Amino acid sequence: MATTQEENQLRMGESLLNRKVIVKGDTTYKIVSKSVTEYHFTVPFILPDEERVEVGQIFSIKDQGLTFLARVLNIEHSSNYDGHWDTTMKGTQFFDQDQIFNRVIAEPLGCINKKLEFKKSRTLPTKFASVTRAEKEEFKFLSQVMGDIEVGYLRNGSRLVEEIPVALHSEAMDHHMGVFATTGMGKSNFMKVFAASCMRLFARGESKFGLLIVDPHGEYLKGKGPIKGLTHLKKYREGLACYSTNRQNASDPGVEELAISESEIFPQDIALLYEWSLPQRDALDTVSRIFDSASWLEEIQSPEGMARMVQEGFKDSTVMVLIRRIKNEMGRNPYIRKRSSLANILANLQKGKVVLVDIPRMSDRSELFLLSVISRYILDEYKKDEQEGQESRKNCLITIEEAQRVLGAGSNTARFESIAREGRKFGVGLCAITQQPKLIDKQLLSQFNTLVVMGLGDRNDRQHLEESAKQDLSSMDIEIQTLEKGEAVVSTLNIPFPVPARIHRYEDYLRRLEKEDKQESLITRGGFKPFLE
Amino acid sequence: MIRDHISLDGIDRYLAETGVQESDFVLVEPSDFTGEIFAVDGSNVSICNWSMASVNLIRAGYAVYRGRVWRRTVITFDDVFMADAKLCRNMFDPYLEQFFGLKGIDLKESDLDRLSSYYRELQEYVAINETLGEAHAGDIILYDGSFDVFELLRGALAVIFARAEEKGVALLAVAKSSSLFWGEEITLPFVQHTSTIGSGLLPEAAWYLSLKDKKVDAGQGRWNGETYVVRFCGESEHDFRVDAPLFLQDEMGSVLGKLAAYSCSSECLGYPHALFRAHRDIRITEQEGAAVRQRLMARLLESGMTHSEIRMLMQDFHDILEMRSGF
Ligand SMILES: Nc1ncnc2c1ncn2[C@@H]1O[C@H](COP(=O)(O)OP(=O)(O)OP(=O)(O)O)[C@@H](O)[C@H]1O
Ligand SMILES: [Mg+2]
Repeated sequence: MATTQEENQLRMGESLLNRKVIVKGDTTYKIVSKSVTEYHFTVPFILPDEERVEVGQIFSIKDQGLTFLARVLNIEHSSNYDGHWDTTMKGTQFFDQDQIFNRVIAEPLGCINKKLEFKKSRTLPTKFASVTRAEKEEFKFLSQVMGDIEVGYLRNGSRLVEEIPVALHSEAMDHHMGVFATTGMGKSNFMKVFAASCMRLFARGESKFGLLIVDPHGEYLKGKGPIKGLTHLKKYREGLACYSTNRQNASDPGVEELAISESEIFPQDIALLYEWSLPQRDALDTVSRIFDSASWLEEIQSPEGMARMVQEGFKDSTVMVLIRRIKNEMGRNPYIRKRSSLANILANLQKGKVVLVDIPRMSDRSELFLLSVISRYILDEYKKDEQEGQESRKNCLITIEEAQRVLGAGSNTARFESIAREGRKFGVGLCAITQQPKLIDKQLLSQFNTLVVMGLGDRNDRQHLEESAKQDLSSMDIEIQTLEKGEAVVSTLNIPFPVPARIHRYEDYLRRLEKEDKQESLITRGGFKPFLE
Repeated sequence: MIRDHISLDGIDRYLAETGVQESDFVLVEPSDFTGEIFAVDGSNVSICNWSMASVNLIRAGYAVYRGRVWRRTVITFDDVFMADAKLCRNMFDPYLEQFFGLKGIDLKESDLDRLSSYYRELQEYVAINETLGEAHAGDIILYDGSFDVFELLRGALAVIFARAEEKGVALLAVAKSSSLFWGEEITLPFVQHTSTIGSGLLPEAAWYLSLKDKKVDAGQGRWNGETYVVRFCGESEHDFRVDAPLFLQDEMGSVLGKLAAYSCSSECLGYPHALFRAHRDIRITEQEGAAVRQRLMARLLESGMTHSEIRMLMQDFHDILEMRSGF
């Protein structure tokens, strides 16, 4: 309501008629309350579908020199009337649409000053300041804090803000990343988009880290049907190195057949694969002491090796179990040979390429085994380089699918935990992908500086994440629950608040990248030029 | 005992003792209306009072609707009023003269509460007079209250009636509560019992009943009009006392039909919606009263009075008993 004249109750009857006319004003889209930590504003109680307010949408409040941004947490029916007047159905319709409205409860994100700087806000907008849906103009400051690895566009509720790409920071990658989503919500798609952006950076000489992806589902290399793989990104193919255990895949040009040499396998790698009794574990420890590390696998399987173990005081049966399990693994993993790809893989990672290890149809256990061997190798080599002061090598990010298997609370897989805990010192980060974040050790989770959270239906998953995430995600619970396929909330320390994003569909992104001019001006922070079709 | 006063034993006794006949209940057909509806209301809140004088905050004005659409609300008076029998002629007379061409009135006998009520009513009449200026022939002006008013102000009302008739505007007073009663031995609530009977005779319909020549005292003859009991909306169980000037006698059915179409809002079913809005826009809330009280006190402090003097002046002994502190 707008009053055309100041109240003047205390001026006792100065003139006979003191008309004050109240006319229809804008009664909605105004801040009505309430504090620095929570804003309430009004919107019409009835709105066309395309203008409906949704949880997660970001609104802006221009107030003199400041622009406040706030994210919708909830929406309530409300009115200027008191009590429960509106809980029975009666009459034909509401007459006074300026008295009945919805109250939107929003969480302040921060405010932008005249210099386009974004800050957390220590104040609140003026009462009745007007509120509008934030548009690209208000999000411009975000472009300045975005990183170099584009993964999608900013999303405001269900609407895309195409002009504002969401991009992660290469610098944050040794601080670990988590990708969480219920099955089918788009984890693999995200990883391909992420990898494609990395390949692009490499091709432009801007890569800052190598990305290792071990793919047990055989979906990243060539895709399946309409779903494309990483090799389809021909323009930036130089940024990708592929290894495969599959003969046919390995016969493609540009794909090397994966080989691991026996000498690169340690007793600990075998230890990882089984539950062991105490004497068995003892025996494994002893193996690394009494055999030559380069030939222990061969030696222990020989009669002499067996005899030496017995000499050490182990029971026949204990040693037999050990040997049988080793033989099993060797049989199951035919890529174990004299030749090795590891040095090559490492070199590619250190150059900053994306390294894809394609291991289709491999059993769960073998996959873990392989991942363990490769990761240990990488970490050891990075440790050495650290000591030798190798400056030129790039950092490295190791992807783990179904990460709950190896980063779970109480899992016997200390290897990955040790990367999570100390990898950063040596420039090795983890990218944990899982559908069940609730199974990941909380303390590990709290070390993840970058989280890409997609739809998570399970309340326990969300709660677990919210309790351990570095940025506060608790207020986004409803939003995370209602995320659709391909939608994400991206939380990373370099961006001041968790950003709603729509991850590119890999196939679309591919088309766009293939079309762009390779020589196009370098991406620089803040000046990122989006490619719109 | 209480039950005797409230319940209605049988329609026969009601009919016999009031003189109402079943055929006096007239069906109202809601009809579309393209003109404007004006609704006039006022509000009066005590700010403080001591034995010799009192201060009230008074507000009057009107809301304007075309159909279901609110156009505007106009506040015509919004000020504090100091009631002092000696001084307050000066406050009444200019209005009476300027708006109604009347000579001053004699208020000497009136007590303080009366004075502020008179003043509020006077201001409501000024508001009605304003709506008469804005209305076009065929429009409807509603007044929250009754036309059976204090004698002192009947003169103003007579001027209003004449202007309404001249302009061809319908003018009705709708009372939210009424003290109409019937009964030869005990005093029985008339509007409520009429409701019950009306619901039985004309279920789920709007209707009205004229009290002309009925054995119910509605001040007939004291003012130039008739009183009705009206149900504005078939879905509602609420009825209202409605007063109308004599010149509307033959048009009541059609005027009420137009009102019935706009008395069915979800906000306030069964009541002319314009009056609902006027009430809400014009009423003085408790907070407003408190704010004015505070500002008045600040002024008095500025002028050199002490806290305890002001407290003596402004605090009602009721508040002390209830252990409320206004300050
Ligand atoms: N951002 C997106 N835009 C459009 N479609 C998408 C997007 N992300 C994923 N999809 C589609 O959703 C389907 C499932 O995606 P994806 O395989 O990436 O899910 P996932 O989370 O990896 O599932 P799983 O748990 O089975 O591994 C695919 O058909 C994919 O094309
Ligand atoms: Mg997947």
